[in-house]
Amino acid sequence: MEKYKFLHLTHTMKDSFKDGRIEIMYNTRNQKTNEVPANEQIKNPTVENIQQLGQNSTLQEESNIFCMTIIGQVEGHMVLPPQNKTTKYEHIIPQLVAAEQNSKVEGILIILNTVGGDVEAGLAIAEMIATMSKPTVTIVLGGGHSIGVPIAVSSDYSIIAETATMTIHPIRLNGLVIGVPQTFEYLDKMQERVVKFVMEHSNITEEKFKELMFKTGELTRDIGTTVIGPDAVSYGLIDKVGGLSDATKQLNERIEEYRKAKNGGMVQ
Amino acid sequence: MIMYSIVPLDDIFNGIENNKPNQEIELNGVIMQVQPMNAYQAKVVRLISPNPQDYLNPAYSPGQIIYFQPQLQSK
Repeated sequence: MEKYKFLHLTHTMKDSFKDGRIEIMYNTRNQKTNEVPANEQIKNPTVENIQQLGQNSTLQEESNIFCMTIIGQVEGHMVLPPQNKTTKYEHIIPQLVAAEQNSKVEGILIILNTVGGDVEAGLAIAEMIATMSKPTVTIVLGGGHSIGVPIAVSSDYSIIAETATMTIHPIRLNGLVIGVPQTFEYLDKMQERVVKFVMEHSNITEEKFKELMFKTGELTRDIGTTVIGPDAVSYGLIDKVGGLSDATKQLNERIEEYRKAKNGGMVQ
Repeated sequence: MIMYSIVPLDDIFNGIENNKPNQEIELNGVIMQVQPMNAYQAKVVRLISPNPQDYLNPAYSPGQIIYFQPQLQSK
């Protein structure tokens, strides 16, 4: 009911909402003449960014933290149709390079809420984060599924929200039964890359990770496991259950250490 | 390419044949791929630049709309 009323606000009422966030939520055109009111041209640049980009990615001059969100599908070799919300490889990678190189950036906070995506793109992002010299902290909110798992563990310190989940399942080409031994070999190799990366960048053992990956009876149409916040920590996959304050605290501590190390001082 | 995702592949790739090709333009020395919206506007899709700082420039960030004018030419 509320939504219905909201959509039918006329443009004469619009002047009472100076906040740009309201403006973009309903049709401001005059229904009779179909004219665009003059003040619709003036748009809040931040709102524009959020509307167009899905995130406010502009680097704030005054912040020493570079915040990057990875949401939806991780898009790599193929441009996915528009119903997918995607995080594109070719946007993320150069931004990480720029963040590594930019002297104003001292730490990187990666916020994850992803359903997975391209194996190679995901592993590339994970490798880039893992090999950065600047302190990195990842925080998993909502979900960090499939290829999101290696990205989540790639940072110096990983945090998962209490309610966030991570789905660990085998890699396959599609839902069909694998028939040819070569295909199986190939998929097994792809899978091994993911398992090895996760193992090397977190405290989980290979046995445990594979056990979770091939578990039956937990996912309805699939084998695998859904790991919820505290479980991810108990398996050694993620470092801590927490939220934003934990992430910023960790990052600030690490930035302090990084500064000391950079200035030739002793690292505590 | 292998998708490792919890979303079924059918849902991911549904409608892929309707994807429109991007156009490549050069703006202030930066090559970028844009998606034309109409005769006067295009949306930045991707940057192709060797300078990493270009990727932090809000003016070139993906989703930004660039404006142009058609130029009349007499033969």
